[in-house]
Amino acid sequence: MATTKTTPVATLPAQGRRFQLGRFRDLTLVPVIIVLLIVGSFVDPVFLTAGNLTNVLQQQSALALVVLAEALILIAGKFDLSLESTVGMAPAVGVMLVIPVAAGGFGLELPGILAIPLCLLVGGLVGAFNGFLIMRFQLSAFIVTLAMMIVVHGLQLGLTQGKSLFELPESFLYLGSATWLGLPAAIWITGLLFAAAIVALGYFRAGRSLYAIGGNADAARAAGIRVERVLWIVFIIGGVIAALAGVLETGRLGGISANQGVGWIFMAFAAAVIGGVSMDGGKGTILGALTGVLVIGLVENILTLKGVPGEWKQLVYGSIILVALMISRLAGGKAQD
Amino acid sequence: MKLGTAATGAALLALALTVSACGSSETTGADSSAKPAADAGAKGGKVGIDFPRADSDFWNSYNKYVPQLAGELGVELMPPTNSQNDVAKLVANTQAMMGQGAKAIVMAPQDTGAIASTLQTLENKNIPVVSVDTRPDKGKIFMVVRADNKAYGTRACEFLGEKLGGKGKIVQLMGALSSINGRDRAEAFGACMKEKFPGITVFDEPTEWDGTKAASMLQTRLQQHPDVKGIYMHAGGVHLAPTLQVLKAKGLIAPPEDPKHVFVISNDGIPQEFEAIRKGEIDATLSQPADLYAKYALFYAKAAIEGKTFQPGPTDHDSTIIQLPNGLEDQLPAPLVTKENVDDKSLWGNQVK
Repeated sequence: MATTKTTPVATLPAQGRRFQLGRFRDLTLVPVIIVLLIVGSFVDPVFLTAGNLTNVLQQQSALALVVLAEALILIAGKFDLSLESTVGMAPAVGVMLVIPVAAGGFGLELPGILAIPLCLLVGGLVGAFNGFLIMRFQLSAFIVTLAMMIVVHGLQLGLTQGKSLFELPESFLYLGSATWLGLPAAIWITGLLFAAAIVALGYFRAGRSLYAIGGNADAARAAGIRVERVLWIVFIIGGVIAALAGVLETGRLGGISANQGVGWIFMAFAAAVIGGVSMDGGKGTILGALTGVLVIGLVENILTLKGVPGEWKQLVYGSIILVALMISRLAGGKAQD
Repeated sequence: MKLGTAATGAALLALALTVSACGSSETTGADSSAKPAADAGAKGGKVGIDFPRADSDFWNSYNKYVPQLAGELGVELMPPTNSQNDVAKLVANTQAMMGQGAKAIVMAPQDTGAIASTLQTLENKNIPVVSVDTRPDKGKIFMVVRADNKAYGTRACEFLGEKLGGKGKIVQLMGALSSINGRDRAEAFGACMKEKFPGITVFDEPTEWDGTKAASMLQTRLQQHPDVKGIYMHAGGVHLAPTLQVLKAKGLIAPPEDPKHVFVISNDGIPQEFEAIRKGEIDATLSQPADLYAKYALFYAKAAIEGKTFQPGPTDHDSTIIQLPNGLEDQLPAPLVTKENVDDKSLWGNQVK
C-alpha cells in the first residue's frame, strides 16, 4: 500500500498514534478535534466555556441527525439526497395540518399534539417512497433521491406558497427549545439516538446486516439477509430521523422558512465522509460520523468567534475541511474510498 | 426606445405643451410628476414579467400584488414566469417572453452582473426593461424601481446609535454579500456607524439570508459578548424568528426601559415584524414597499410601451429619480415603522392577510 511510503514523512509520533488508532478507525478525527479545541482557546477565551460548547452542540444537533440518517444509508451502500428537503417539508406539513387557515394551515386543525407524530410520519413516507422507487423499480438511488430532493422541496414551496410559517403550536417548538437537566433537549435527543445507533450497528444482528449489505449485497442475500426489506427500513428510518431533525431545527429557529434544510446535504456528506464513512458502502461507523459533525461545528464556531470577513469565510471553511480530511487520512492510515 | 438625456430633454420641451392633449389611457392618479411625454409610437402591448423567487415572504407579497395591480392599472400582463433565483432560468424565461411578443419586460435579476448580455439583446429588439429591486451593472434599463437601500442602512444606524446613546455593541445580521441590496445596507450602516457613532462596536455576521446561520452566529456572539445591546437585521423574513428565539432563550426580551433590553431594528416590513413591534419584542423595522414595487414596475412598463420618457428629479410619490450610467432609477421611499405608527393602514404589511 502507498501508505507505508508516506507515513515516515509524517513524523514519529504520528506512527505511534497510528498504531493505537489502527484499531479505532472511527476515531481518526480525534486529533483534529483536539487541534481545533487548542486553536479555539487561543482565538477567544469564551471558546472553551461550557456555555459556548453547549451552543455548538445545540447548533449542530439537527445537522447531526441528518448526518446520522445519511451515515446509516451510506453504510448500507445507498444514497439519500432528499433528506435535506424532508428537514423542511415534514415539519411544514405536520404543522399545516394543525394550524388554522389564517396562519397558513390546511384548515383541518387537528389537535396540536399530533403535529410532531404527523411530521415524523411524513418523513417516514418520503423514505418509504424512496425505497419503493429504488428497490421495486430498481432505479439508481442517486438519481431517484436527487429527483426526490427537488420534488419534496417543491412540495413544501407549493403547499406553503413559499411563505414562512410563524404561528406554530407550542408543543412543536418544545423539543427544539426546551432544557433538560441543564442541557438543551436537542442535545439529549441527538446524543441518545447516536448512542442507540452505535449500539445497534455494533452489536445487533439487524445493525450488522447493514455492513454486510453495503459491502456486498449479493453475498448478504446468499447469507440469508433480506436485503430489500432491510434497505427499505433503513430508508424509512432515515426519513423519520430527518423529519425529527426538522422538528429540532424549527424549535431552535421559532419558525419554518421556505428553504429550511436547503444545502444541508453537502454538509451532511462532508461530515460523514471526513468521519470515515465510505461513499461506496460497507465501511465507517456512526461514532466516526459524529466526530465529523463535531469538526464542522467547531470550525463554524471558531470562524464566527474570530469574525472572519464574510467574503473569505467559505474559502477558509472549505480549506479546513480539506485539511481535516488529510489529517484523518494520515492518522487513519487507510486510503480513502 | 433610446433615452439619451439630450434627446429626452428636447422631446420633453417639444411635447410638454401637447402632453395634456394626448389622451393616453388612465394612469389611476399614479402619474409621475417627472413629466411623462408621449410620442407617436405604438400604444398598448403585452408586458412580460418574471418573478425572482417564490420562497421569501417579501417576494410572495410582491408576486401577489402584481396581477392585482395590473388589473387596476390596465396593464395587459402575460402569464408571469419565475426564475427561482437563478440567472440562467431568468435568461431562458426572458427569451420565451420575447418569443411570445412581449413589448416590455419587468424583471428582478438577483445576479446583477450576469444579466448584461440579455439586456443587450432586449435593447437590440427595442424591448424596454424595468428592473425591480436590483440595479443591473451593465445593459440598458428603462427604469430601476427599488428602495434606497443605502438609506436603509443609514437609518438603521441612526436609530440604533441614538437608542444606545452612541456607545456599546451591535450585531449586524447581514444578507448575502453577492446581492447589491445586502451590500448597500451593510456598507451604509458601517460607514454611518464609523462617522456618527465611533464609540459603537459593530459585529458583522454574514448570514447569506439564512435563518439557521443567523441563529448560530447570533447565539455565539451573545455568548462571547453578553453586553450586546443592539441588533440590525437585514431581512425580517429570514432573520426575525431565529433572532427572537435566541433572545428568548437568553431571557433578553424585556421592555425598553429595562437595562436588559436589546434594541432590534429589522428590514422588510412583513406582517410578522409588525406583530413583534406591537408586542414590544423588536423596536422598529424599515418597510420595504412590496406594493409600490409592483405598482411602479407595472406603471413604468406601461409608460415605456406608450413611449413616455422620464427625467431625473423628484416625483409625485415622494421618491426621487436618479440618473444611472445605463438608465434611470426611481428610489422609492421606505418608512421607518415603530410602535407609534405600526397600525398605519397605508403600510403594505397591514394590508396583506
